[in-house]
Amino acid sequence: MSYKVTTDSGYAIVHLSGDIDLSCSPEARKLILERLAAGKHTLVDLSGVTYIDSSGIASLVEGYQTARKKNLQFGLIAVSEAAMSVLELARLDKVFPIHASVADRVK
Amino acid sequence: MSIAAGGGADACGYTEDQLAAMLAELTHDFASSLDVEETLQHAVDQIIRHLHAEAASIFLLDDARRALVCRKCAGPVDITGLRLQKNEGIVGESVRTGRVQIVRDVAEHASFAAGVDQGTGFVTRSILCAPLTVRGETIGALELMNKRSGDGLFAGADLHLATTVAAAAALAIHNARMAAALVEQERVRKELELAREIQLSLLPTGVEDGLPIRGINMPAREVSGDFYDYFRLPDGRVYFSIADVAGKGMNAALLMAKTTSLLRCLAKRIDDPGELLSRVNDEICETASLGMFVTIVAGFLDPRTRRIALANGGHLPPFQRAAAGRYIDLPPQMPPLGIVAGLVYPTDTLVLDGGCVYLFTDGLTESLDGEGHQLGLSGLRRLLDEVAGTPADLRLLALVTELEAAGRRFNDDITMLLIELDEPLLALRVQADPRELAQVRTTVQETAEAAGCGTKCAADIVMAVNEACMNIIQHGYKGDPAGTIDLEIRRDGDALEVWLRDRAPAVDPVDIKPRPLEELRPGGLGTFFIREAMDDCTYGNLGACDGNYVRMTKRIVQ
Repeated sequence: MSYKVTTDSGYAIVHLSGDIDLSCSPEARKLILERLAAGKHTLVDLSGVTYIDSSGIASLVEGYQTARKKNLQFGLIAVSEAAMSVLELARLDKVFPIHASVADRVK
Repeated sequence: MSIAAGGGADACGYTEDQLAAMLAELTHDFASSLDVEETLQHAVDQIIRHLHAEAASIFLLDDARRALVCRKCAGPVDITGLRLQKNEGIVGESVRTGRVQIVRDVAEHASFAAGVDQGTGFVTRSILCAPLTVRGETIGALELMNKRSGDGLFAGADLHLATTVAAAAALAIHNARMAAALVEQERVRKELELAREIQLSLLPTGVEDGLPIRGINMPAREVSGDFYDYFRLPDGRVYFSIADVAGKGMNAALLMAKTTSLLRCLAKRIDDPGELLSRVNDEICETASLGMFVTIVAGFLDPRTRRIALANGGHLPPFQRAAAGRYIDLPPQMPPLGIVAGLVYPTDTLVLDGGCVYLFTDGLTESLDGEGHQLGLSGLRRLLDEVAGTPADLRLLALVTELEAAGRRFNDDITMLLIELDEPLLALRVQADPRELAQVRTTVQETAEAAGCGTKCAADIVMAVNEACMNIIQHGYKGDPAGTIDLEIRRDGDALEVWLRDRAPAVDPVDIKPRPLEELRPGGLGTFFIREAMDDCTYGNLGACDGNYVRMTKRIVQ
C-alpha cells in the first residue's frame, strides 16, 4: 500500500493505493482516525486500490463510526472496481457516502 | 392274469366298468394335483376303496435313497413315518427288484417284517406290493394288505390292477416333485435377486466427487456377500470399509445390511477403527445366527496427515504399494466379526507417502485361469504392477479388464477399493506474518487460474484464502509471526479443494461464525467473506497439539 494525504475544499483526503491487507490496514486505520481526531471532515480516495480485505474494510467502518460520533463528515471517493466489489459483498455500498470525486461530493 | 372281460363281476369283486371308472378317476386326480401330499393321500384312499383292501400304504425312498419311509397310509392302523431299510420286507424287495410282489399267505414268507404286525396289532394275511417306477427309476412302492372280499387274499387280477395304479401314482408323484422343485428354484432365484438388490443398494452411490477412494464391485452369477462403503466425515476424514459376509442369499444380504448400517452409524462417533470393529463384533455376536460371520477391513483416511488408521477382522490384509513399487506388508489379522464376543481389535496406522493402498475380497485372488490355477496374492501383485501407470479413476477397471483378457473365471464377486491421494496442485508453508499475504494471494491466483478458474472465480478463492490466513494470524496465533500456515490446493472433481492448517491452540469450530451484517462494526467480516466466496467451508481442530484446519471448496467456473 502507498498513501498520501491532501486537502481539498475543506476535506482531508486520504489517498490509498495498492493492496490493503492485514499488513497495512492498521496504518490505513491510523491515517483515517488521525484526520478525524484533528476534527477534519475526511474523505478516503480508493481510486488506486487493487485489493482490499476485511481488515481494510474494517478500517473504513471504524472511520465512518468515529466521524458520526464527532459529527464530522466521512465518505469514499473514486472507489476502484476491486474495492467496490468488496464493499458490495459486505453490503456497505449503501452505508458509506460514495462519490466519484471531491468535486462531485461538494456539489 | 388278466382282468375278466365283460360287465359281470369276476372273482376279484369288481366289474370292468368299475375298474375303468376307478382308473379314470385316479389318473384324473393324479393329473390335476401338483401337491404331493394331497395326491398321495387321495391315492391310498381311493385304492383301498376300489381294490377292496383293508389297508394301503405308500413308501418312498428318502433323499439319501437309503431307507423307505411310509408317507401315506389308509386303513385301521396309521404307520405314517414308519422307516424300513431299503431292502427290508416285501416293500424292500419290490423296490430292489422293481417288480410287483404278491404274497398270498404272509405267515409263510421269509421276507415279511413281522415286527410291524407285533407293534401295531394289525394282522396281515396277504400282501400285494407294486413298485413306483418313473422312467426306469424306482422311487418307492405301493403296498396293499388283506383283501376285504372273497377269500381275503390277493389274486392275479389285483396284481395287474395294482401295477397300473402304481404306475399312474409314480408319475403323479414325479410330476408333483418336479413342480415343487420348479417352485423352489423360482423361490431361490427370487431370493437371490432380492439379495442382490439389497447388496447393490448398500454400495455407496452419489458419493461426492473427488474422494481419494475408488471402489468396484463386479457381480458374479451367484450373489456373494461382498460390500464396500466410503464417505467423508464432517471433519474431513474419509471412512472406508470392505467386507465379505459368509454365506449367500437373503441371510447374508440381511447381515450385510445390518453390518453396513452399524458401521455407518458408529463410524460417525467412533474415531478408532479397532474400537469400531470391537463394538460391531459384539453387536453381531449378540444377534447373528450361528455360522454367520463377516470378514472386514475398516478404517479412516486423513487426507491432511496422509495417515490411514485401519483394523482387520479376518479379512485378506490390504496391500500398500509404495510409490517406488515396493509392497509393504500389513500386520496380521484378528478373527472375523460375529464369532467371538468381547474381542479387542487393534488399530494399525500407515502413512500414504505417494503410494496407494488396495483392499480386496477373495473373489479376486481366487479367480481361476484356464488351467484352474488361482490368481493368488503374488499374481495380484504382478497385475497391480502392470496397471500401476493407469490413472486412479480407471485403474480398478483396467485391472478387471486385464483379468478378463487373461481368460480368468470368477466364481465370486470381484470387489476392490483403491485409496490414493491425488498430488496437490499447490502445497505451501508460510509464516503467520501479514507480510506473507501478498505472495500467498499471487500464488493462489496463479494456481486457480492454471486449474481453469476464470478471473472472478480465482478472485473469490484468493479472497477466501486471504481471509482464512488472516483469521489464523489474528485469532489462532494472536499475531505471533513464528507460527506456520500450511496451504494445500487439490483438484476435487470439478472443484478446487483448499486446505489450511495451523499449529495454533485448538479453536472450537462452533466459535467461528460470521457476524450479522447489520451489526455495523469493524472486524468479523472475514468469515462472512469466506462463506460468500466459497461453495463450502468446514472448520475443525485436530486435537490439543495438532492445530486447526479449514477446508474450503469452490466449483471451477471459467
